[in-house]
Amino acid sequence: MACVATITISVSSPLRDFCGAQSEIHVGAATLRDALHEVERIEPKLHRAICDETGRVRRHVNLFVNELHMSEREGLDTVLASGDVVTILPAVSGG
Amino acid sequence: MAERVVLCIGTKKGAFVADAPRSRGRFSLRGPFGPGVSVYSTLIDTRGQPRLYASSCNAFFGMKMLRSTDLGKSFKETKSAPAFAKDDGRALANVWALEAGTGKKDLFAGVEPAALFHSDDAGDSWQKVSGISDHDHARAWRPGNGGLCLHTIVRDGKRMHLGISTGGHYLSEDGGATFSASNGGIGAAWSPVSYPEFGQCVHKIAGHEQAPGRLYMQNHGGDPKLPGIGVLRSDDHGRTWRSIAKGLPSDFGFPIAVHPDDPDTVYVVPLEGTTRTCPGGSPGVWRSENGGGSWTKLAHGLPKKQSYFTVLRDAMTVDAVRSPALYFGTTTGQLWIGRDGGERWECLFDSLPPINCVKVGLA
Repeated sequence: MACVATITISVSSPLRDFCGAQSEIHVGAATLRDALHEVERIEPKLHRAICDETGRVRRHVNLFVNELHMSEREGLDTVLASGDVVTILPAVSGG
Repeated sequence: MAERVVLCIGTKKGAFVADAPRSRGRFSLRGPFGPGVSVYSTLIDTRGQPRLYASSCNAFFGMKMLRSTDLGKSFKETKSAPAFAKDDGRALANVWALEAGTGKKDLFAGVEPAALFHSDDAGDSWQKVSGISDHDHARAWRPGNGGLCLHTIVRDGKRMHLGISTGGHYLSEDGGATFSASNGGIGAAWSPVSYPEFGQCVHKIAGHEQAPGRLYMQNHGGDPKLPGIGVLRSDDHGRTWRSIAKGLPSDFGFPIAVHPDDPDTVYVVPLEGTTRTCPGGSPGVWRSENGGGSWTKLAHGLPKKQSYFTVLRDAMTVDAVRSPALYFGTTTGQLWIGRDGGERWECLFDSLPPINCVKVGLA
C-alpha cells in the first residue's frame, strides 16, 4: 500500500480563477489520482476545470509530476513521494 | 414601454451586446464578455427584471454560464453550469440552446451531448430533464459535423418541441415529462432509411404563438436524392411535416425565423449544401408571406457577389418593434440588420469574431 505523501500542486495562471487565485495547493496523496480527489474535495471548481464529469482529465489539460508528463509515468496511478510537485498546465493553442 | 433594442451576440471569442433606441438608428457595442471563449447560445429574458445569459464553453476548462442583470453592461458567472452526474457516463461539451421556461426564473438549456437541463433559479442550479436526456433513443443518436447537440427548444403551453442533430424532432405534450419522436415526413438523405423514425439532422424549428399548431423547420437538405426535405412545415403540432422548399435556390440552410406578428411570414437563409455558403456567392434572406407557398429574395444592400459566408442555426432573429427588423450574423464576423422586415440591409458591425448566435429583445 502506497504511503500518503505531502505534495505541492502548482496551479498555472489561467486556472487560478477557479481556486481563489492560489498559485499552489498542498495536499496529502499517495497517487496522482488521489491528489485529484483531494483537489475535488477542497477546490471543486478547480477540479471541474481539470476533469470533466466522468472524472477524465480534460483533453487540453496536461498534468506533470515534477518534470514528466503523467503519460510518461503511470498516468493517474503514478505514485507520489513527499516533495513532489504536480503542475497543471493547459495545452498550448495556436491558429 | 421598452426603450431599447438589445442584441446579444455569441461569437467564437466571447459574447457582445449591442443596443440602440427603438428607432434602431445607431447601435453601440460592448464586449467581449467571457473573452476568448466561444459562446454558442445566448438568451435575453425580459419576463421580469431583464436578464441576459450567455453560455461560455472553454475548450480547455469546460462550461460556464454567464448572466447579466444590467442589460449587458457586465456579466457574472452563475453558481453552476449544466453538468451530468458522475455516474451518467456523459460529459458536457457545450450548451447550444437557452430558452425561458414557465416561471420568471425558469430556464432550459439544450446541450451537447444531446440532453436537456432545467433551472428554476435563473441558472444558479441545473437539473437534467430525464424524459429526453435518458430517452430510449438517446444512446442511438449520432453526432453530425457540429456534434451531437440539442439545439432547439420551442415551448407552447404544455407542449415542448426539441430539435436534435442528429436525433430529429421530439415532442412532449405533458410539459416535458415524456417525449416522443415526431418525424413524419422529415427526410434524412444521408441515411440508409430515407424517412426513419428518428435520427434526422434537424437544423432549426420555429413556431408562432398566434398559430400554435403551425411549425416551420429547416432540416438538413441539399441532397438531390431527396429534394425539398430541407424546408418543412407542420400544421398538426409537429406530428407530420411537408416540404415548402419549392422556389428556393437551395433547401439547405441553418436558421429559420417567423415574423413576430404574422405566422404566415417566414424567413430562411439558403446555402449551398456542399459548401454551406451563399448560393453563387450572392447572399440573401428569402421570405415567404404565405406560409411557404412562394418565396422572395431580400438582398437590397447585401453583397451581390463574391460573398461566401455561412449563417449558423441561431444566428438569425427578428425583433418585435413595429415594422420589425431582421438580424443575422455571419461566420465571417459581420452583423447585418434588415430594416422593414428585411427590405433594406445594412452592416452594423463588420469585424466581429465568427458569429455563432444572435438574439434580440426589447428592454
